[in-house]
Amino acid sequence: MLSWMIFSPLIGMAAILAMPRNRPDIVRWAAVITTAVPLALGVMVFSQFDRSTAAMQFVEQVSWIAPFNIEYYVGIDGLSVPMVLLTVLLSFICIFASWNIENGVKGYFAMFLLLESAMLGVFCALDFFLFFVFWEVMLLPMYFLIGIWGGANKVYAATKFFLYTLAGSVLMLLVMLGMYFTTEPHTFSLLQLANLHPFSTMTMDLFGWQLPMDKVFFVGLFIGFAIKVPIWPFHTWLPWAHVEAPTAVSVILAGVLLKMGTYGILRISYPILPSATLWAADAMAILGVISILYGAFCAMAQKDLKKLVAYSSVSHMGYVILGMASLTTAGVNGAVLQMFNHGTSTAMLFLLVGVIYDRAHHRWIVKPDGSRGFGGIAPVVPVYTGVMAIAVFASLGLPGLSGFISEALVFLGAFSVPRFQMYVIIGSLGIVLGAAYLLWMFMRVFLGPLNEEWSGLTDMNWRERFTLIPLTILVVVLGVYPMPVLKLMGTTVAKLLTSLT
Amino acid sequence: MNGEIVQNLKLLSPELVLVFFLVVLFTVDSIWEQTRKNFVPLALVFAACLLGTIATCWVSKLAPTVFFSGLVANDSFSAFFRYVFLFSCAAGTYLAFGSKELEKQNRMEFSLLIVCVTFGMCLMAISTHLLMLYIGIETVSILSFVMAGFKSEDLRASEASFKYFIFGAFASALMLYGFSLIYGLTGSLQYGEIAQYVQANLGNMPYLLPLSLILVYSGLAYKISAFPMHFWTPDVYEGSPTPVASFFSVGPKAAGFAAILRFFLDILSYDAASGSWKAIGGEQLVSVVAIISAITMTVGNLSAIGQNSVKRMLAYSSIAHVGYMLMGILTLDTFGLGAILFYIIAYCAMNFGAFWVVSIVADLKGSDRLDAFRGLGWSMPVLGVTMVIFLASLAGIPMFSGFIGKMLIFGAIVKTPGLLWLAVLGVLNSVVSLYYYAKILRELWLEGREPGNPSELSIYHGVALVGLAIPTVVLGLWFAPVIHFVERSIATIL
Repeated sequence: MLSWMIFSPLIGMAAILAMPRNRPDIVRWAAVITTAVPLALGVMVFSQFDRSTAAMQFVEQVSWIAPFNIEYYVGIDGLSVPMVLLTVLLSFICIFASWNIENGVKGYFAMFLLLESAMLGVFCALDFFLFFVFWEVMLLPMYFLIGIWGGANKVYAATKFFLYTLAGSVLMLLVMLGMYFTTEPHTFSLLQLANLHPFSTMTMDLFGWQLPMDKVFFVGLFIGFAIKVPIWPFHTWLPWAHVEAPTAVSVILAGVLLKMGTYGILRISYPILPSATLWAADAMAILGVISILYGAFCAMAQKDLKKLVAYSSVSHMGYVILGMASLTTAGVNGAVLQMFNHGTSTAMLFLLVGVIYDRAHHRWIVKPDGSRGFGGIAPVVPVYTGVMAIAVFASLGLPGLSGFISEALVFLGAFSVPRFQMYVIIGSLGIVLGAAYLLWMFMRVFLGPLNEEWSGLTDMNWRERFTLIPLTILVVVLGVYPMPVLKLMGTTVAKLLTSLT
Repeated sequence: MNGEIVQNLKLLSPELVLVFFLVVLFTVDSIWEQTRKNFVPLALVFAACLLGTIATCWVSKLAPTVFFSGLVANDSFSAFFRYVFLFSCAAGTYLAFGSKELEKQNRMEFSLLIVCVTFGMCLMAISTHLLMLYIGIETVSILSFVMAGFKSEDLRASEASFKYFIFGAFASALMLYGFSLIYGLTGSLQYGEIAQYVQANLGNMPYLLPLSLILVYSGLAYKISAFPMHFWTPDVYEGSPTPVASFFSVGPKAAGFAAILRFFLDILSYDAASGSWKAIGGEQLVSVVAIISAITMTVGNLSAIGQNSVKRMLAYSSIAHVGYMLMGILTLDTFGLGAILFYIIAYCAMNFGAFWVVSIVADLKGSDRLDAFRGLGWSMPVLGVTMVIFLASLAGIPMFSGFIGKMLIFGAIVKTPGLLWLAVLGVLNSVVSLYYYAKILRELWLEGREPGNPSELSIYHGVALVGLAIPTVVLGLWFAPVIHFVERSIATIL
């Protein structure tokens, strides 16, 4: 079933490539059908998933390259299921959000489907080699999606994304090879590596220094994953890529790709390198707090709506890192829930930015010349304003919407660790700052006297409403009752934490 | 004695096939003048390569032997390289016949030259005697000079040829000096006898031996264009016709690796138990090779960044790839050396492919500069997509064979203690390389569509591009049989 889910977009991609070039509508509907298949399978996984066990489920294991003991080995547990669901949902929505792509429609949707395959592969892979291949396969479609269908600075943004991500993943490659060759028998299986985790007693030689192997591996992996998250100071690719990418690609980037970094840390670094994880927890917490504050301050300074949302991602992913670093049940549960909730709320924000950009062809809060970009448009576009309000409040953590619960859990978890209390106090400033930049933005764009230039703005059409309604429902429902997601991951998180201590 | 010669002659049948076809080409050329312009020579070269492959297949089944009083060896290692050479000969000729650059030249002459170079490369791979090796190297070199200057009316080509010649002569001289020192020390030029000498003097090796080995290395480094003998590469590749440059970047380079591997592995009297370079010069020699490989790849990649001519960029990138491959020698075990052979296979397809695209674009636009590629992905999708495959593979992105090659090489380094720095440098280098490969991708796809009429890719070239792209992808996803093949090939010389 997982294989069907991973590879059905690829089948769709092949079909789309075989279609005639002058019939874009057929291509679009083919993409809809193709992404509907993983979505349906995702719903089936959600209903059939056994929440009482931490073991891998829906496992498929076939030998792939026998001489190196590489396997096609996929399966999901409580950590992967929320991410898989997020991926299939956002991919489906993004097809509709890409409806207005006119140029090179075939190529666009083919790349998009390849990307979906790779993302699902990353979240399902249980073999390090397979994980790495899926991880890297994302590079090329992402490069082209940003570079061909992006905004004004697309080439620079695409190249920067490409190089940063590759730099991170080559370090991961070295760690992967190092792990493979130091275990006996040589294996790429993540579960087997987690069972053996022999690295804490080994050392490696660098110009005569004997470095502890597990810490070197942890740092190498962490840099690779931190670039993806991105954690300060590895975040500089993010504003470029997010801002220049077309709307749907920004949604995927912020909604799914960023989570791969934190997912990788939880899936690979934590179970395989437990002692190094304990060693690095403090540093991770500090980096998390810096990301929270730095992202928030940067967001506050932005005049471009999309850039503001992009920097808010840096800030919100900081909460995830802080929660993960706490190594407490509440903290890690909160972190994974925050991964999911940030996926939905930030996807809403990017979709909404896309909506207004399609109409106004700019997205300045304040134009470079100092005049108002928008202002007072709430009465002109009431539905849009309402949905935006929900997204903004969810993002800033208003109780009753999804962001609140996950952030509260993160802080609760981190605060229960005595040495992290200071970090929590500083980090909680991020909530205030988050409220500040989001509400300030809301005020400047939607409230106040109407900017007459935009009095003719049209409200969201049915296609746009269709993309936002499911996310709005999720944000509200999970804000009131988060148990569906928490139950999915609870057992797995508990097992992960017992294996660490 | 005579009986033995006749008996062993059959072990040389791949080379004999090439010689036979040389004679055929000569004869046809002298009696049928139209063949200088039509496709008959191509058919003959293909026939030579096909028969050569069959012959190689046949002799590789026989028991490995060193014959003709220790001059040459027939084993699976020879077979591996014969396959590579025959493939690059066929591919190079096919490309040359489709290229406008060589349209006006005598095609018969070109075919003669390339078959003869292939013959020389085979000699390099099978020789187990320094004199024999020298004959092989010079056969390749001297004919390569002619091939580089094949567009005789083009000043740049003549300059390339002349540079190639000067550098080649210098490298040969260094190498010959090394040979003479080795002969003086050991009293023999035969690998096995040199190895016996090395083994007998394990404790008290005269310092002259490492020195002479470095001289020999210099000569061979010229062939593979490794530091410090890489300076000729960009000029020669840029000046010579693109099909010739693509052939140079694959065939003679592989031949150089064949010679280096066989020579050094044989005389180092590989000690399976310790698996180290201790036999001569101690551990320092590992550092020397590590540093050479580090400098080679770094110099290649950094110089490639600033290039505007794609041909020149690929020339520098080919230097960088030699740096990666050299890393495989450090481990001196089946894994590392097998990784080199795998890399050679992967490199053959992807590098030929990339050069092929450059050649097509150069024919179309009359320039190989970056801006000649602008928007071509949209007007020639097959070319655009296959070039993405080749470049992504060269950059070492998964799903493509280049990644597997790099992974095996880095794997070999990672599992050797003390070389962590080289592994880190190597992967950082592949990030740098992505930067300039991405420049080509950017021109192909990202800079908008090409203004003017869409151009058609001829089936002749399309077949070749797809034919090279398929192995590049397949070897990236399914490479278990090839691993067995290269490990079998390397096993005979270890």
